[in-house]
Formats: sequence, C-alpha cells, structure tokens
Amino acid sequence: MGENKECNSMVDNCEEVPTKEVIEFRPPLYKQRYFFVKNLVQQHKPKKVADLGFGDATLIWMLKYHHCIEHLVGVDTYAGSTSQWEISNLSPSVGDYLVPRDLDLTITLYRGSAVQKDSRLVGFDLMTCIELIEHLDSEDLAKFPEVVFGYYSPRIIIISTPNSEFNPLFPASTFRHLDHKFEWNRMQFQTWASDVANLYNYSVEFTGVGSPPAGAEHVGYCTQIGVFQKNEAKATESCISTPEEHVYETVFTTAYPSLQEKKNLLLVLSAEVLRASNSMRLRFIVDPKKKVNGRLVPEDSCVPRYGLIVTDAQRAQIESSPKPYCVGKKFYVPLERLITFPKVNRLVDSVERLRSLLSEALKLNRDQSALQVDLHDHYSRTMLSY
Amino acid sequence: MDLGICTREKLAHVRDCKRGSSGVPVKLVTNLFSLDLPQNWQLYQYHVAYVPELESRRLRIALLYSHAEFSNKAKAFDGTILFLSQKLEDKVTELSSETSKGETVKMTITLIMELPASSPICIQVLNIIFKKIFKKLAMYQIGRNFYKPSEPVEIPQHKLSLWPGFAISVSQFESRLQFTADVSYKVLRNETVLEFMTGICQQTGMSCFAQMCEKQLLGLIVLTRYNNKTYRIDDIDWSVKPTHTFQKQDGTEITYVDYYKQQYDITLSDLNQPVLVSLLKSKRNDNTEARMAHLIPELCFITGLTRQATTDFQLMKVVAEKTRLSPLGRQQCLARLADDIQRNKYARFELETWGLHFGCQMSLTGRVLPSEKILMQDHVCQPVSAAEWSKDMRNCKILSARPLNKWLIICSNRDKNVAEDFLHCLRRVGSSMGFNVDYPKNIKVQENPAAFLSALQKHVDPDVQLVMCILPSNQKSYYDSIKKYLNSFCPVPSQCALTRTLNKKQMMMSIATRIAMQMACKLGGELWAVEIPLKSLMVVGIDVCKDEFSKDMVVVGFVASINPRITRWFSRCILQRTTTDVADCLKVFMTGALNKWYKHNHGLPARIVVYRDGVGDGQLKTLIEYEVPQLLSSVTEASSNTSPKLSVIVVRKKCTPRFFTETDRSVQNPPLGTVVDSEATRPEWYDFYLISRAACRGTVSPTHYNVIYDDNGLKPDHMQRLTFKLCHLYYNWPGLISIPAPCQYAHKLTFLVAQSIHKEPSLELSNSLFYL
Repeated sequence: MGENKECNSMVDNCEEVPTKEVIEFRPPLYKQRYFFVKNLVQQHKPKKVADLGFGDATLIWMLKYHHCIEHLVGVDTYAGSTSQWEISNLSPSVGDYLVPRDLDLTITLYRGSAVQKDSRLVGFDLMTCIELIEHLDSEDLAKFPEVVFGYYSPRIIIISTPNSEFNPLFPASTFRHLDHKFEWNRMQFQTWASDVANLYNYSVEFTGVGSPPAGAEHVGYCTQIGVFQKNEAKATESCISTPEEHVYETVFTTAYPSLQEKKNLLLVLSAEVLRASNSMRLRFIVDPKKKVNGRLVPEDSCVPRYGLIVTDAQRAQIESSPKPYCVGKKFYVPLERLITFPKVNRLVDSVERLRSLLSEALKLNRDQSALQVDLHDHYSRTMLSY
Repeated sequence: MDLGICTREKLAHVRDCKRGSSGVPVKLVTNLFSLDLPQNWQLYQYHVAYVPELESRRLRIALLYSHAEFSNKAKAFDGTILFLSQKLEDKVTELSSETSKGETVKMTITLIMELPASSPICIQVLNIIFKKIFKKLAMYQIGRNFYKPSEPVEIPQHKLSLWPGFAISVSQFESRLQFTADVSYKVLRNETVLEFMTGICQQTGMSCFAQMCEKQLLGLIVLTRYNNKTYRIDDIDWSVKPTHTFQKQDGTEITYVDYYKQQYDITLSDLNQPVLVSLLKSKRNDNTEARMAHLIPELCFITGLTRQATTDFQLMKVVAEKTRLSPLGRQQCLARLADDIQRNKYARFELETWGLHFGCQMSLTGRVLPSEKILMQDHVCQPVSAAEWSKDMRNCKILSARPLNKWLIICSNRDKNVAEDFLHCLRRVGSSMGFNVDYPKNIKVQENPAAFLSALQKHVDPDVQLVMCILPSNQKSYYDSIKKYLNSFCPVPSQCALTRTLNKKQMMMSIATRIAMQMACKLGGELWAVEIPLKSLMVVGIDVCKDEFSKDMVVVGFVASINPRITRWFSRCILQRTTTDVADCLKVFMTGALNKWYKHNHGLPARIVVYRDGVGDGQLKTLIEYEVPQLLSSVTEASSNTSPKLSVIVVRKKCTPRFFTETDRSVQNPPLGTVVDSEATRPEWYDFYLISRAACRGTVSPTHYNVIYDDNGLKPDHMQRLTFKLCHLYYNWPGLISIPAPCQYAHKLTFLVAQSIHKEPSLELSNSLFYL
C-alpha cells in the first residue's frame, strides 16, 4: 500500500541521471498532493477523515491541525509497531494542552488493507487514497471499489495515481516505482473511475497536481486525481446499520484535549476572564475614581487601552456594559461586562452560563453578579508605587 | 549517572564494609522498586551491518524488525547496535530483506558482547526500556522526567499549570537492580508572548514599551504551540508584521498569516504584532552563518518562571503549596504508579519479554544517630528539637563576640522611628547574649538607591566596624549597590534589613535576635559549637554556581575552618571563566587556608575533610581527576615531614531516593539524624544518606554523601557522625540544616557574589562570615 516516501524521493532521484532534462516540482510533488487534500478539507470541513495507505503518516500529521476534523484514521498494511516519529508527532504536545482545541480529536492508526472490510471505517466524510491503487494487483483492484465505495461509502473519496502519459518526460522509462502493478494514462483512469462512480452512485471530477513543463502541456498533470462525491448523501446516512466487524489491528491511538471537556473549558475561560479583569484593574488603579454608595467607581469607562479588543464595535459594547468597582481592597468586575470581551464571548454565550462556570473556578461576589479579585498584586505593589 | 566510576576499591578501610554502627535502628520504606532478573541473565549486544549501506534509520529498523524471528523478541535497536535478551543461534547471522523498491538488502548481525545485568551498558538499556514503558502509560517526556498532562494542577490567577509526574531511573544499588521513582512537577506557563507583551503595555504604557519588552523577553526560552519546539528569543524585529512575506524552503513567498492558516489552520488575531527572532544553532560545527527563525509572539509560550515571577512571594507560595506532598501523599503516588505499570498490558509484555520482574517497594533498616549537645559560653544545652533550638538558647551567652562600638545606621527619612525602635531592641537582646552594642551614628537619606550609596561613600571609613542599612523596599538595586560597594570597593561588614521586616512589632525580639547574631558573626564572633572528638581537624566546604549576568562565568566559593573547635572560618571566592562547574583555583585557596590555620594554631591540622557541593550529573570523573589532585598537591607541599591527611566528600542535595517510616497505616518522615548506608547505596562507592533537615509539611529529601577520596581512614561510623555534627554549625539558623555548615557558608557566599556583587569580595573580609 501507499509508500509516499518512496514516491517523493523518486523525484529527487532524477537529478542523478543527467541524460534527460530534470523535472523538478516546486513544492515537491508529494507536498502538492497533500496540499490538494488540505485544501479540500478546508473547503468541505469533514469531521471524520481516513487515509488509506498512510505510509509514513505525513498526511495524517498535516491533517491533524485542521480544527474541523474530529476523527482521523490511518490504515496501512505495513503499519508496524509505531515509531518514535508517529508517537511524538501524532500525540498531543504541550501546546495542545495549553490551548485545547474547540472540538475533540482522536487519531487512530490501523494495520490492515484497503480491500478488507472493517466496520469502524463506515460513515466517514472523507477518505483519501493517495498513490494507493497502483500498488494493488488485479485481484485486489477488483475488490477495492466494493470495499471503499460500496461498504465504507464515505461522502467524498480522493484517489490519486500516476499519469503514465507524463512518464516519457522522466529519464527512466519504466514505472515510477518498482512495486507499481500498473500506471494508467488519463483515459484508463477516467474510464475506471467513471465506471466505479456510476456503479456506486457517486459523481466524479478529474484534476491533478504537478503541471507539465512548457511545451509538453498535452501530457497533463504528473499525478492524476479523481474526486468522488456521493450522490444523495443525506438520505443514506440514517439507514446504515452495519454489523460490527473488526478486522484491522489498532497500532496507535490518541485523544486530544478539547473545550468539550469541562475542565479544559473552565481553565481557558478562567484565563481569559482573569486577563480581561486584570487589564481593567490596572486601568482602574491609575484612572480617576469617585466614591458612590461605599463603592469606588471609575469616572471613565475603564476599558483597557491595549490588547484584547480589536474593533470599535467591540469597544463600544464594552463601554456600554456595567463598570467595574472597588470595595476595600477588592476589585469587582460585573459578569455582564466580562461577557462583552470577544475572547470570553467566544467561549460562553450567556451570563448565566458564565456565572455557573466561574463559580466553580474563581471567586464571585455575594450575589454572584461580579468577579472578585485583589485590587493589588505583586506587580502593582512593587512597581506602581514608584 | 556517573556510571562505571569505582572509587571504593581504592579505599582499603571500607572495601569490606562501609556501614556505621552507632544509633538506634529504624525501619524505613523507600521509593525503590526491585527489578528481578533470572539468574545468569545476560544482555547480548550485536552489531548490524547493511549491504548496500542504508542512510535511513527508519528503514534500517523496519527491515530488521520485518524478520519473523525478531517480531516477538525483546529488543532495543538504534539502527546499528542491537540488544537482545536471548542469544541468537550463531555468532554471525546473515539475513536478507527486500525494500519496497524491490532492492535486496543483506544484513549481517554479529555478536559483540555478552553483558551482565550490572554492567553500565546494560543499565542504560534498562533505562531506555523504562522510557518506552512510560510513554505507553500516556506520560509525556520533558527532559529526563515523565509527566501526566491529563491530571494537571491549575493556578489560573498566576497563569500556571503544574503537571505531576516522576523522575525515574534504573540503577544498580548495593545488591540488586532497582527502579527509582520520585514525584516531580513540571511548571508550565499558560501565557503566550503576545499576552505577556500586552501585559507589559498595560502596565507601563507605550512610552518605554519596546524597551521593556526587550529587557524582559530577550534570552527567554519559548515553546511554539504548533510544533512543540523550543527557541531562545535573541531579538525582537519590530519592523516585521505577520502580514509581511517570507521565503519558504522551496523558494516560494508567503505571508506569515497565510502560512500559519495553510499549514496549521491557525488564524492570527493580532496583525500588528512584531516577530521574535531566534538564532538557530547549526547542527554541523562549522562557521556557517547562524540561521534565523522568525516566530509569532501569539504562537509562543513562555517557559519556566521569569525573574519577576520568582520574586513574587504570593506566586511562589501557591506553587509550593500545590507541589508540596506529605510522605503519605507521596507514598500513594508511588503505589499508584506501581499499580499502573503492573496493570498496563504493554508494560507487562515489555517487562516479560526482557525477563524482568517488577517487584515491590523495598524496605531497609537505617539508624538514627544520637542527638548533639549545643555548647554555649557557660552552658551546654540539649535542644528539645534539633530542628530549631532558638528557644533553648534564649538568655545563653554566645561563645565569643567583639563589642560593636563604631558603626552606622543608614535609613530613609521616613524610617527614622523604625530605626530607633530597632536599635533599642537590638541593644537589649545583644547584651543578654553577651554582644555589646554601642550607639551608632544615624544617617538619614532620601528614599532612593543613589542616596544610600552616596551616604556610604561619604561616611564609611576604615575605622567603621559595621554599616547597617534599613531598606525601604526589596528592590534589588538597593541591596546590590550597597553590597557591591562594601564588599569589594570599601571592605566593611554590612547588614541590610527591610523596613517591612522591622515593622513587625510582635516579632521584634526574635528579629532583633537573629540580626544581632548575624552582626556578631560579621565581626568575627562565634555563636555556638558542638563536641568534636578529633583534636586537629580542618573542615572545608566548596560550592560552585553560575553568575546571574554572564552565564559563562562561574563563581567558586571556598570556606575552611581555622580553629579546632570549628567555630571560626576563612572564606574565599573567585569568578572564573569556564563552561564547566569545576573549580580551578582550589590549590591557591587550600594553601591560603592552611597558612591561616598555621598562624592561629602554630602548626598544621592533622586531618582535612573537604565537602564538595554543586556537582552536576556526570561530573564525578572530572572531580576525581582534576580537583582532588589540586587539593592533594597543596596539602603535600604544605609540610616537608607529615602532611595533613585528606578526605573529599561529594555532597548532593538532589538525589532520587526517599525514605519514610511506617507507623500504623500511615507513613511519616524519618527522624532527624537518620543514616542509610546499605541497600539504597551503590556498591562501587563509599557512600551514605543522611537526613538532617526537618520538613514540617512536605517530605524530607535525604542528602547523599559520597566519599571519593579518603586518606584519613576514619571509620564509616565516625565519618557519618562528623558529617551530622557539621550540619549543626550554620550560624544563620539555630537548628539543623540539610548540608554541612561549611557547604552552606560556601553556598551563601557564591550566591551573594553571583546575584549581587559580581566581583571578588575583598581579601580583608575573609576572616569573618561577612556574607551571612
């Protein structure tokens, strides 16, 4: 199955054979294929994505950054026991814990073949088969559509494969890879793809990456790509009830922290709320104040001067909310003001929600209408007094 | 780890037994877990050669692992060296594999060595195996430790996350292999550089914003959010914005905004932020120009605690509270870890295939040394608790003190009354301890560091015995400028105190007592002593630390006792340019100390015991090859006939073993004076652990002592007891401390020089504890 690394280095290998003019792709062809997938992900925002023949897991790693994806799965027949690279690059890192994702993400790698059925791969939004089918012998190639299109039946399938019409431009005139069972011209690929699409009720569009050099435009892209979209996708979703069938062996799985978990949400929310209140507190200390009903209130709007706010509209919204105030050595920020800060508002949609969450993590005043913090901290005590 | 350094075999008197005998036996639980191996277990080291040669390590490993005979075997392979726990049939095994390109590769696996379980290489392999196991326990490796990101302790008000975890290692202890785990916390900052900069801006305003940012940020290590790499901030480029373009590796141009969106699906929120510049170290050691990396502040996290944070008392208190673990809490963490390892399928499989058995927590027997009497001038006191005896010695006279006649108090105009109240108190407590304090000349100045300094310049002359400064704030510049002036330019002992401290009325007496004792020491006085049976013994403490400003400078402190009672000290300090922490000037210092001793005692000491602190991991070898000879040559040159006998002991406060006593259903800290000299020690060393510091809420950590050179031939029991006695003699604290007093003095001295004065203190001060 997919040996992306090998294909990539093929392009570099050309440089060693000076007989014909070297064709070098910028960015390298494999990156162009991966970016093609990334662009499609940006466009369609799939939640569940599987890469069949993930090879060295580079594409999986590149896709894990997309916020829309919640399940990312790789399948490869050669998936050995996981390497250090996979563990360290596919597992959550310190940054992922400090800035949790909005949505959950689990990454799972399976050992298995694209011509075996495993029920865990049913119901995906996107499946990619990058440089995969040319590695299948005729028997497996015959089974492939039934498994991927018929059984897995994802919303979108991307299949890429070499375009043999491009081969004469390469120095060596054999297949691009020794393990390739075939390399198709555009006609062959498109015929096969259209037949499969018709049979399983998909529509298909053809494109590619790796533009031919000037003067050779007629050969088409170096890599040809078919993008298959399921017709009447919505209707079938509900009637899927496939029996559980676990054929693939799990070799690696990991889950990312996200804001869906309450403790993470609380943490991020507390940080944003404290940042907002801190900015107002520093403003409050230096601004003119007056005493009203035992409270010290700012004469101005007490809107932080720098950071946190981007637009005038946001500023106006903060200005029109209740002002913070001070009683004794405590500084109070009304929740109604806190929620007008864009980064707080992004996390919670109502004052009630803000109140119920904050009451678990930070100190609120007695009627739970405002956040309570110390007016002075280490910094304002040691520095501002000079 | 200092593996393979065997110092004990050269010490004839401890070759057979290095255990002491005095004291009461005590049963202790440890954080050591036995690792049992079948008898005659061996590790087989192979070399694997590939024909044709393969560049890629991944490919080399994959090809070897694809062979069926390796699939279920315990193995560790880095692409060249292969370790197996079972011997292959033949000494040389030939295998061949086919790459996915269809190329046939021949692999030749040749047996190089058979290693016993105790060999250093084998211990390294076992450490690698445990690293693999911990990764499978969903632990995250940072440095050498493993942390649990799933159970963080959050401190939102200080933007900190603490990850609990363990420092782990496998080592050969006295009779068997042991796995050690000690609870550790990783402090993570929950703040991006952009947020930090916004904070600066809100605090200081725009006028000196750029300057403040550079001052606070340059030199900090940051962690990038997207690829988990760390960089040092070398510069800030204010002219570059995220909307500017840069050239990618493939030559195409792209803006930072688009790059992070495309690559990482990150939308930058602030398009006006500057970029941070980091110079990348070239992997090859050639002179090619360093490459620069541009980093976006919004995507970089600050790591570690900044200087501002470490001076924040509130913050440090919260961190200490959250990370402090009682012996019971610690014990529970250990039990859970052991349980996790034994339950985890992968961990069990890995251990089983290697033939390792993860055993139970080891217990051993230690001894509690007899407590020491504290000798005052006309009184011998037996403290109620050796942890602190200030109450026991109330109204006792200190051993000796010079009267304080000519001295100055400098304070701000505002603090006039504070100074007067304090002086009254000081004179009272001084007279009751036998330290006569006369009235000083009182100088009132304005409230800024420059005013204090000019008062010093104006009023201090060589006749002044001591200068006391009452500082209106703990701003570092006050302290630093005063200490710098009075320690090297105009050598006069000095005493600083904060107004805030002196204002604590209800604690006035105890504060004045502490200050009176410090002053007495700074004038060359002696506070108390313990009984030292050896009649002519010099003890020496050496410590090394890095200078705060110039990181390539190290400060070496050397403190030696100059009387048999071990109450008077000779202190030297030097700054030296070197990248290692190894002291270079010891011969000069040692000779100076011997001369001082000769002058005071009309002869040389019969014995010298040197305690060396500040030794990093893996430095033991250099110490033995480089520092011990320096000390020895000074000692042998000192006299033509019988030269003093020398012992050198390496002191380490950071060691992984922990000890607890078990009391019905709970565990506690062991009593003060507990010595462990078996089972948790190392067979190749003459070493022991001593618990000499009390921990009221947390868990005590024992101090490890390793005698690397010993001409004295003292019995192990005497060596242990001498060490314990020396932990009573630190005059800045009326109680036991965790290391021998000379080490603590040397530490205090190097700290003062490294943090504040950055110059060698004047030789004129070397006869008093001027740095207390």
